[in-house]
Amino acid sequence: MTKLANYFHTDWAAMTSVDWLGLTLTVSVAILMAGAYAYAFNPANKERFNDHRFIPLCDDRLDKED
Amino acid sequence: MEPRQGEPQYNFVIVQFFAIMATVYLVVGALVGVYIAAELAWPALNFDIPYLTFGRLRPLHTNAVIFAFGGCTLFATSYYIVQRTCYTRLWSDKLAWITFWGWNAVIVSAVVTLPLGITSGKEYAELEWPLDILIAVVWLSYMFNFVMTVASRKVSHIYVANWFFMAMQVMITYLHVVNSLAIPVGLFKSYSIFAGPQDAMVQWWYGHNAVGFFLTAGFLGIMYYFVPKQAGRPIFSYRLSVIHFWTLIFGYVWIGGHHLQYTALPDWSGSLGAAISLAMIIPSWGGAVNGMLTLSGAWDKLRTDYTLRFLIVSLAFYAMSTFEGPLMSIRTVNALSHYTDWTVGHVHSGALGWVAMVSMGAIYHLVPRLWNTELYSTKLVNTHFWMTTISIVFYISAMWVSGIMQGLMWRAYDEQGTLMYSFAESVAAMHPYYALRWFGGTLFLLGTIVMLFNVLMTVTRARTAPALAHASA
Repeated sequence: MTKLANYFHTDWAAMTSVDWLGLTLTVSVAILMAGAYAYAFNPANKERFNDHRFIPLCDDRLDKED
Repeated sequence: MEPRQGEPQYNFVIVQFFAIMATVYLVVGALVGVYIAAELAWPALNFDIPYLTFGRLRPLHTNAVIFAFGGCTLFATSYYIVQRTCYTRLWSDKLAWITFWGWNAVIVSAVVTLPLGITSGKEYAELEWPLDILIAVVWLSYMFNFVMTVASRKVSHIYVANWFFMAMQVMITYLHVVNSLAIPVGLFKSYSIFAGPQDAMVQWWYGHNAVGFFLTAGFLGIMYYFVPKQAGRPIFSYRLSVIHFWTLIFGYVWIGGHHLQYTALPDWSGSLGAAISLAMIIPSWGGAVNGMLTLSGAWDKLRTDYTLRFLIVSLAFYAMSTFEGPLMSIRTVNALSHYTDWTVGHVHSGALGWVAMVSMGAIYHLVPRLWNTELYSTKLVNTHFWMTTISIVFYISAMWVSGIMQGLMWRAYDEQGTLMYSFAESVAAMHPYYALRWFGGTLFLLGTIVMLFNVLMTVTRARTAPALAHASA
């Protein structure tokens, strides 16, 4: 086995249920993260996100209504 | 919860109380910090009084600045932001007041117990078990009130600042409860249920996530509201803020292991911590750039708006310390930097440069609006800005030089393989830098006193002569 292959070698038979739970959660969250990047940086969604930029600048209007 | 007839649209009284207490605790925390810095330079200053020794006052300093000043700032700003961005009043005034009095009771208890030597011995979580329970109750009251306020919002979208606050609330609950699990053996003594390497791992899982979620996520919530608000411009990219949020939340929980390189923990845990730390440069810098570029096309505002200066310079320090931290987590760098004053310098570039300066900017923004007046003196804000900036440069430069020198002295060998310097020689070599650090800290403390004076004069003027305050506004 090469040094690199040795580094990435995993004894799957020795994995406990906690190891599997951790692995599943980590891989799932990583996939969700990749999905979040793709969604946020999709040019088609740009306006949908950027509409929210103005929220802090619009909150003074309620002061005037008081 | 709808405001009752005649009730103001928002509850800003609670924000006023927390803002004032944050400013007071900033002075107190900095004062204790300056005193213990003096003790390190001139050890006779402990006067052989156990209550004044460095070991007892250091946790008092960290608790005062992180939880008293930082906590009150977070309560003030988050209660303000959630109401304004959700267009609704706080869900429960009673819960808000429980937060205020409960949190202050914790702080007063810390001031009494820590100098008496009553401590669990866990860094940044020194308070004993009855106070841990009180903290949990107060924190859950705060979180419940905040989440219910968000749930009763009058707009569909939850502004990103509130996401950061809610992530902080959830994670701090989790961290505090797990890290504080202990078996009491008396009213003021308990032992952690963790031991050995597990205790170390839990300690630094807690320790670094307290930095990540209390001192970073919470204060990023502050940044995402107050930078656009003070600049009068929308945040540069909302998309980037969303990515900043999710990447930060996903990444931070992994990195505590980098505090435990070259220990009994498996090597992989430290390497994993270092690898994720390096990856965290991307969201951290993305956030810092997002805040700074909000001023794109309006940089001239920095000439005249001193509050904005605090906010923008805090982002520069945020970028700097989030680059330095990952660098220090790399094994080869860590071999030199760990256990030295470099770590102290790094922590303070983040704590003073990022956390304190963004808080100061937020409080200077809040005070005139909360009391419906103008600041007593904008010149004093400028004075405070320069005192703070210069003091931080003195502080962190001294600690960088001191830390690197320490690391090099500790591992210097002669040709026979014998250590070239004794530990005492390295301590003696630190003296000028400890004196310089004390000077930097003193300048920072004086700046906080200027701020407290300015804030109190603003409030006094607004209360005693509201008409005059309006006229000058």
